[in-house]
Amino acid sequence: MVQMILSDTAEPSYAVRLRFHKRGSLTFIAHLDLVRTLTKAIARAGIPVRYSEGFNPHPRLSFSSAMSIGLESDYELLDIRLTKTVDPELLKQAFNAALTDELQATEAYLPETKFTDIAYSSYEIRIVTEGASAALADACQKALAGPVVVFKRSKSGDKDTDISGGIRTASVTYEDGALLLKTVLNADNAGFINPEYLVTHLKNTCGILSGDLTQERYTVLRTGLFFADMTLFR
Amino acid sequence: MNHELFSGILKTVSKPGRYTGGEFGQILKDKSSVSVRFAFCFPDTYEIGMSNLGVRILYEALNRVPGVWCERVYAPWTDMDAKMKEYGIPLTALESGDPLADFDIVAFTLQYELCYTTALHMLKIAGIPLFSKDRGEEHPIILGGGPCAYNAEPVADFFDIFSIGEGEEALPELCALLERMKKDGSYTRERFLREASHIEGFYVPSLYDVSYNGDGTIRAYTPKYLDVPKRVKKRIIADLDKAVYPEKLVMPFIETVHDRVVLEVNRGCIRGCRFCQAGMVYRPIREKSPETLCHLAKCLYENTGYEEISLISLSISDYSRIAELTDGLLTWTDDAHVSLSLPSLRIDSFSEELMKKVSSVRTGGITFAPEAGTQRLRDVINKNVTEEDLMRAVGIAFSSGKNNVKLYFMNGLPTETMEDVGGIATLASHVIGKFYHTPDRNKARPVSVTVSVSCFIPKPFTPFQWEGQDSLEMLKEKQEYLRSQITDRKIRYNWHDAEVSRIEAVLARGDRRLSSALALAAEEDMMFDAWDEGFSYERWLSVFERTGIDPDFYANRPFGLDEWLPWDVIDAGVTKEFLLRERERAYAEKTTPACSEHCSGCGANKLGGKTRWCK
Repeated sequence: MVQMILSDTAEPSYAVRLRFHKRGSLTFIAHLDLVRTLTKAIARAGIPVRYSEGFNPHPRLSFSSAMSIGLESDYELLDIRLTKTVDPELLKQAFNAALTDELQATEAYLPETKFTDIAYSSYEIRIVTEGASAALADACQKALAGPVVVFKRSKSGDKDTDISGGIRTASVTYEDGALLLKTVLNADNAGFINPEYLVTHLKNTCGILSGDLTQERYTVLRTGLFFADMTLFR
Repeated sequence: MNHELFSGILKTVSKPGRYTGGEFGQILKDKSSVSVRFAFCFPDTYEIGMSNLGVRILYEALNRVPGVWCERVYAPWTDMDAKMKEYGIPLTALESGDPLADFDIVAFTLQYELCYTTALHMLKIAGIPLFSKDRGEEHPIILGGGPCAYNAEPVADFFDIFSIGEGEEALPELCALLERMKKDGSYTRERFLREASHIEGFYVPSLYDVSYNGDGTIRAYTPKYLDVPKRVKKRIIADLDKAVYPEKLVMPFIETVHDRVVLEVNRGCIRGCRFCQAGMVYRPIREKSPETLCHLAKCLYENTGYEEISLISLSISDYSRIAELTDGLLTWTDDAHVSLSLPSLRIDSFSEELMKKVSSVRTGGITFAPEAGTQRLRDVINKNVTEEDLMRAVGIAFSSGKNNVKLYFMNGLPTETMEDVGGIATLASHVIGKFYHTPDRNKARPVSVTVSVSCFIPKPFTPFQWEGQDSLEMLKEKQEYLRSQITDRKIRYNWHDAEVSRIEAVLARGDRRLSSALALAAEEDMMFDAWDEGFSYERWLSVFERTGIDPDFYANRPFGLDEWLPWDVIDAGVTKEFLLRERERAYAEKTTPACSEHCSGCGANKLGGKTRWCK
């Protein structure tokens, strides 16, 4: 066990923030399952996590954002509230030892910002599709420049919604035989845009990804989180 | 396999976390450095299979052998199954992603009869011929084990070999034999199976000729060679404290059915309920020491991070050192936010003290299993629990704030009359009455009692193995009658599907002639029969009809006391004489004391082992 503990006490708000990546098998895990997986990993790592008070205490973890199934990420943040003061670097090592290569923390530090200040998230979407070309890439980029009307499920009902207001930037290029969509989307609580909507829109408007899975598929990677002024959120 | 294609498919199916592998704690080996590749298949979904204690233990036992790599395989759900078929992807193991056909041994744990169709479907989508006789040197050895192996005759034609009894030591021995024969070049399927039949606890069905009498009953099982044992004796672990037990687990990414640390406290049961197969075939009763269990619990917590430890046993409160064990665990579990749970609490040993210690009892509902509605019938089945015991137990529950009690019963037990059936309703209303007579009850919420009634299935190696199951009509009539007797709306009544129980009875007491029906079922893609989504009584009847199988012959016919039973080729420890004695006592409405009070001479002691009560 790594000796991460510096002092046996800590302020109630004391937390360590981990930046981690999630790929491979972890891509297929729903958010709640990820929370469960990390809760157990934190216990295995011997991290002195703080529990909530009350009848049914649970570890105090907060995540920068929820991720839907099928999304890989290079940029996830997790705050762990602690009962003891620790060396963040040693905490990170213990955390990583309790997980597989597909989920590893790359940075650990004391948080100075609030997750509620996250405004945008950037993504790289790689699309392998029939007829991929520079021309198709242009067509896709144009399709994302106008109204992007998608069928959205929400508490207020299922309806067609134009999400183009939530797309800050979107560029499509043709690289290595595939289309590469780089986009920055709203990621604040109120206006979170799921990158899958863009793929669905391109399917509907540009006829991509209509063939079978042996020929056509796509991957979605989150690459960063940003403040409203587009500086990197840490 | 094309990794990108597989990932693409995973985006289109439900719960893709079932199929990825890559969990923390999985065991990876270099396949060029192992000599035996062992695929451990659980013929049901990932969530169910990952919860199974036997798989956890044997995965550990096999992977401790340097030359063996044991991997996990589960049945793909129907959506994934369809995609795999569409893209021509065969069934693969989770660790390596290699197809089952590449393995040396493909093993199935047969935990319940209704998994047979799923097991055969898995062979089919692995591209492995179903029938043992159709497989060649290029195919894996197909091994079966688990509780259903005690009468595996309905699937005997599909399996090359069965492991009978406890596998922690037997399976590594089988792998060692395979390794040796492959190394010295003597390996052929035939030679290997013949050699394996000499290892205690292994049954090779193809080495026996089966003949039948004119009335369809079995005449004899005859070994084809002199060196093949006439009866196959089950294996047991002599000293549970020294048995292999995992100290770390494969940690599922998705929630499984029993997503927690499971500590096996003992094997066997001192009670001897006459319908219960587990209580008979896991004899003799052996216990683990609290020292071993406390050590394992700590290791498992540290290596898994699970917040719950479940102590499992057929009857946990009969563990002779239960207080020592729970006290030992409670020294650290509360501080670590770990809760203890105890399934299988007996009515007569339920106490206030246990209730305080065990959080599952503290927070969850409480379930008791009187099994029968009248004292007469409870004596017939040797339940050894009285109405007084039940009233005392629910009284404790009610006075500590509980409002819901669940009661398990069985319909169709031998000698059951409508009076016994009605007794279930009476007992349930007495429980309601007890609530109102408990002065310190929780008055804030109303009381409710749930009555859950299953159907009796005669099982091999029980005193009731000869009994015919009630006809479908009779079971339904009893269910209907009970419904008419339950008038209090505070009592909720659930009952099991009698049609499912009837198919289970056919398979439980079936013989080798059922293989034609199961092969047809597999051909027609029947699977997941343990699921409402998968089971169809009509399809089963149709399969039986087309293969000339009469379900009544297996489910409803009382088997002759002198008849050769399909499972007589297996020696499970308890003797037929004992089972007959118990059957007579049942009909005389006489109970038999627990092993802790008096030895009933069941015969399992001849298997040896460090037992708690045996002479």
